[in-house]
Amino acid sequence: MEIRPILSALMRSKVSMILIGLQVALTLAIVCNALFIIGQRLDLMKRPSGMNEADTFTISSIGFGQSFDVQSTINADLNLLRSLPGVVAAAPTNAFPLSNSGWSSGLSLAPGQRTSTANTAFYFVDASGVSAYGAELVAGRDFKPEEISFRTPNDEVMPRVAIMTRALARQMFPDDSDPVGKSFYFGGEEGEPATVIGIVDKLQAPWVSASMVENTLLLPSILTGGSSSTYLIRTEPGRRDEVMKDVEEKLATANRGRIVRGLRSMEERRSQVYAEDRAMTIILGSVIVALLGITALGIVGMASFWVAQRTRQIGTRRALGATRGDILRYFQTENFIITTVGLIAGGVLAYAFSLWLMDRYQSPRLPWHYVPIGFVCLWALGQLAVLGPALRASRVPPAVATRSV
Amino acid sequence: MRAGEFVAVTGPSGSGKTTFLNIAGLLEEFTGGEYWLDGVDVRGLDDNARSKLRNEKIGFIFQSFNLIPDLNLFDNVDVPLRYRGFPAAERKRRIEEALSRVGLASRIKHYPSELSGGQQQRVAIARALAGSPRLLMADEPTGNLDSLMARGVMELLEEINRQGTTIVMVTHDPELAARAQRNVHVMDGQVTDLGDEVSLRRQKAATQPDHAAAV
Repeated sequence: MEIRPILSALMRSKVSMILIGLQVALTLAIVCNALFIIGQRLDLMKRPSGMNEADTFTISSIGFGQSFDVQSTINADLNLLRSLPGVVAAAPTNAFPLSNSGWSSGLSLAPGQRTSTANTAFYFVDASGVSAYGAELVAGRDFKPEEISFRTPNDEVMPRVAIMTRALARQMFPDDSDPVGKSFYFGGEEGEPATVIGIVDKLQAPWVSASMVENTLLLPSILTGGSSSTYLIRTEPGRRDEVMKDVEEKLATANRGRIVRGLRSMEERRSQVYAEDRAMTIILGSVIVALLGITALGIVGMASFWVAQRTRQIGTRRALGATRGDILRYFQTENFIITTVGLIAGGVLAYAFSLWLMDRYQSPRLPWHYVPIGFVCLWALGQLAVLGPALRASRVPPAVATRSV
Repeated sequence: MRAGEFVAVTGPSGSGKTTFLNIAGLLEEFTGGEYWLDGVDVRGLDDNARSKLRNEKIGFIFQSFNLIPDLNLFDNVDVPLRYRGFPAAERKRRIEEALSRVGLASRIKHYPSELSGGQQQRVAIARALAGSPRLLMADEPTGNLDSLMARGVMELLEEINRQGTTIVMVTHDPELAARAQRNVHVMDGQVTDLGDEVSLRRQKAATQPDHAAAV
């Protein structure tokens, strides 16, 4: 390998090497961090909510007029919804995953405890709630119809039984393998504790970016805030769209004293709630493609210029015994050296950039393996980009050496 | 051509001197006739084989020196030796020896731009000699030099020839040509003064190792 003489020759034309090296360095630093951010966003978007999103939708109703009775409307609506063909389960709810709106509070293990053991979202549902979410009950039991009651946000007494997610149970009772039957308190309340009667495998809180997104507590109550109500409806597989249309029409005609709105599938909600993350991945992806393209073009341009500039030198080398392969390898080695110099600088820059993001945006540290993978990818890109000009160089005939200038 | 000869190829501009040099130096292929180089029939050799043969058997001296400006003298002389695959120690020995032979051992770390034209041509001669070629092809070796430097280079070539290296020198300068042992005159692509000796030489070159080349 001609590394030493190539390096010495490059040191005589530092500007070109610095320019391409800098471009490679910046590309590595930005691409590594951008890929990491994209990976984070994709992981975020990929997280299951714990619901059967494909077959579930929500719809809301707001009553108007003096005579509107929210409780009787909810009862009538639930009877109607559960009787519709294609509906597997329907439940009233105050909140659900991916909605970015709901109620949360702290839970404690002792009465009057000043600092909560865990924070959690509250989902007030009836006995069909677990089924309507499509959550998997992995321990204990579901709510019984006789445990369900109506409540308003102002009611101070909370239900005495609850179903919690496995993640919340793990945080509340880290030393207990079976949290069913365990007691807890809402916030800093005193008196009788509430009891865990069941555990669901997974059911996310409404806020996708919350640190406690996996902590959810299901409570046996129908929460009525004013005259509004929200229903969660799970359909038979593949019948969601058909049932959605039917439900909207039936609810609207069943009671003329209210407005039916907010008909949206969970898939639509997922798409909306992660719209920013998706946009970010697209933008960063485009930046990566553009940067890699510009870097590749930069290498192609510089290598083409060098080939044109050194045609006579190449001819001389051929005359002195270089084979076409030797010339090809020369340009590939030269590119490898420049890229490596750029990559070393880029590796340092990538971690520096990551530290800045950590400091400024509390972003997690760039995992170490991104940089070596970036090295390999940019080496490959460099070799691919230089291949065309290098092949052109290898075709320079040795007779060029004797041509007059 | 017999081994150890110093042949000058002369002729006016456009007569075919450089084409002759390119063919004799394996830089170009030829469409008719035959060419034996140091007992090897070069017809039909592929590009790699021609490159290898060129590297092993022929040393080149160009009119414009053709040194690589970004390499110092050591690395310039090293270029053909690397293609030859010599080990590093062997290359170093040959480079130092070749540069000493042309009187530039003390400038080994200098770059071509730091040398005069005559010195640059001497580096080119050192590069051509370092691989111990059977044949030295010189294309107007003094064409870009003033008369003083030209004389120095010619004296060096004569000395190299005296030490046993076969030299073919293309020149349009009759004075320089006169210093060679034999002249070949090319006119309109035709060799004009070899006459009947051609066939005899071809036969001998193919069978006798004391012939550097035969066409």
